Amino acid sequence: MALPLVSIRKLTLEASTPRGTARILRGIDLDIGRRRIVGVVGESGSGKSSLAACLIGLLPANLSRIGGEIVFDGTDLLALPEAAMDAWRGTRIAMIFQDPMTALNPLFTIGTHLVDVLRRRHPGLARKAAKARAIAALESVGIADAPLRLSSYPHQLSGGMRQRVLIAMALLVEPDLLLADEPTTALDATVEAQIVALLEDLRRGFAGSIVLISHQLGLVAQLCDDLCVMYGGTVVETGPVAEVLGAPRHPYTRALLACELDDDAAAGARLVAIPGDVPDPVSAHVACVFAQRCPHATDACRSAVPALRDAGPGRQAACVRWEELAAPAAPGMRQ
Amino acid sequence: MSAGGPPQGARPLGGAARSAVRGEHTSATDPALVEFDGVSVVFDGRVRALDDVTLAIGKGEIVGLVGESGSGKSTLCRVLVGLTRPSSGTVRVGGQSVAQHLEQEPLAFRRRAQMLLQDAVASLSPRMTIGRALEEPIAIHNLPRTETLRVLAAILQRLGLPQEVLTKFPHQISGGQARRVGVARALLMRPEIVVADEPTAGLDVSVQGQLLNLLLDLQQDFGLTYLLVSHNLNVVRRVTGRTVVMYLGQIVDEGATRDLFAAPAHPYTAALLSTNPAVDPRKRYEPIVLQGEIPSAVNPPSGCRFHTRCPVAQPRCATEPPVLREVDAGRRVRCHFPFSLERRRH
Repeated sequence: MALPLVSIRKLTLEASTPRGTARILRGIDLDIGRRRIVGVVGESGSGKSSLAACLIGLLPANLSRIGGEIVFDGTDLLALPEAAMDAWRGTRIAMIFQDPMTALNPLFTIGTHLVDVLRRRHPGLARKAAKARAIAALESVGIADAPLRLSSYPHQLSGGMRQRVLIAMALLVEPDLLLADEPTTALDATVEAQIVALLEDLRRGFAGSIVLISHQLGLVAQLCDDLCVMYGGTVVETGPVAEVLGAPRHPYTRALLACELDDDAAAGARLVAIPGDVPDPVSAHVACVFAQRCPHATDACRSAVPALRDAGPGRQAACVRWEELAAPAAPGMRQ
Repeated sequence: MSAGGPPQGARPLGGAARSAVRGEHTSATDPALVEFDGVSVVFDGRVRALDDVTLAIGKGEIVGLVGESGSGKSTLCRVLVGLTRPSSGTVRVGGQSVAQHLEQEPLAFRRRAQMLLQDAVASLSPRMTIGRALEEPIAIHNLPRTETLRVLAAILQRLGLPQEVLTKFPHQISGGQARRVGVARALLMRPEIVVADEPTAGLDVSVQGQLLNLLLDLQQDFGLTYLLVSHNLNVVRRVTGRTVVMYLGQIVDEGATRDLFAAPAHPYTAALLSTNPAVDPRKRYEPIVLQGEIPSAVNPPSGCRFHTRCPVAQPRCATEPPVLREVDAGRRVRCHFPFSLERRRH
């Protein structure tokens, strides 16, 4: 198998809080393959946005410690000095943020945003050439009257148009790694469908890798090649998206799927929920993070942290019992 | 009632077993509990937030309201609980107009129709403990204090909220707990109607099931009537008995939830349902991607308001506004060329 673009190993992230040290990431191992779209799913507090923040080097101010390594094409990003990391952002790594309202500067036109991005990527690019490429980029994301739109300000555009502009900006960078943090969450349903269709179109012509962070399993199933399921600051399962969703190995993945309401359940059937609460980030990391809520937890799960280990071709799961639970007779999570 | 025929809520819409669990209105004799009769709301003389809405909700029903931002969902909710006055038309609750209720016995009406606000955390004052926030309505409504506090303790237990929550401030509790505090505050008033605006927004999937189960249980135990607004189509499909789809201030599609999801009649409903990403590829709808975005309510399109984005629009749609008409029992559609009601899903 080709060397992955990014190899994350034992990535830990801790932050100081009034209550003590919060373990936001508890040892993440994840490979991002070249030209792959990796969907990262998890509930709030699972660490998925923090993972993206580590990848692009934009970390919260109360951060107290970061450990492990993020090897990006042979370079450990965590070992890079701040100035060097700065040079990577907007050139080799780009990001589409969740809220297109706040990600654009209200004082600058759309054209200024696009040309800025281009001139950062290609210093010395002539203004005229930059403008032509900006127009082409707007057209490629389905914005009508692109030459006119260059002189529009963000407030003159609708939410869907702004998200298209952000996608155009990210594509102009031609990054090796594109991070998209809930890119459709702030949009209305029919506009979201447009952006999803656009992303599906664009992925074919995109040479880099994409990390798509989402809480919607359905969206990830539709757009991604690989899936990474996070829980409590750990990766609990990874693998090709169809395999993971078709036959999940980790009880949490199974529980998450059971909570999806898209089944044709009998009228009046109880809705499925996972009892209990997400783990406290301040708690010590001495057991499986899901053990408290897992119906299959044993003493072994409560006494040691399970390693992320092979669970089929290209798949990994952090569960000591996945083999026996995957056996056909194993009780499912569905109630 | 206008063009739509007899009151929707007074028609049997499903079998007895379904009505028992989903709160469908089965008795043909009861008048509807809530009746919107040609209700329009115009802001600043030009923004038509609601346009000629006629809708009946039977006692014990769970009605889901879906539509994108700007479709008028929230305005409809606010009109029902009396926070916004209709510019024309009437809303009746229990046969009497909301305006009369508010004039004669405002507090009694406020108790009768409670609203669960979308942002549960923001709906709690950051400077008040949960206990104080929950006790405030007791004073406002002049309820018997000792007895109400006893009821409150029972409600908290029912909702799975520990007594300690009363001494905490909003920032010290989780989002799920804040939601349940909101439910407790509404239930304390012993309401008849609960308007829930996006009750699961911002909740993780692992806990949204708990909250929805709770709302369903309470509906059964207290005979509540729900108007549930949600952009989450899966939630609406699983929880409601009847679904109302809105677009630019108008009802465009309405029917028993099961029927509406199985066979969307309005092209907008079909497009909306097709946006719902399902994990299982076999359960996805045929994708219908609409062009453009929801137009402005200040200057809505001529004819059918949806014609500018409609994939099957005809010349007639640009000039002649369709009326909301009955196409099947309990099924109303505002479209000149509705889809057939066979199952479209594959």
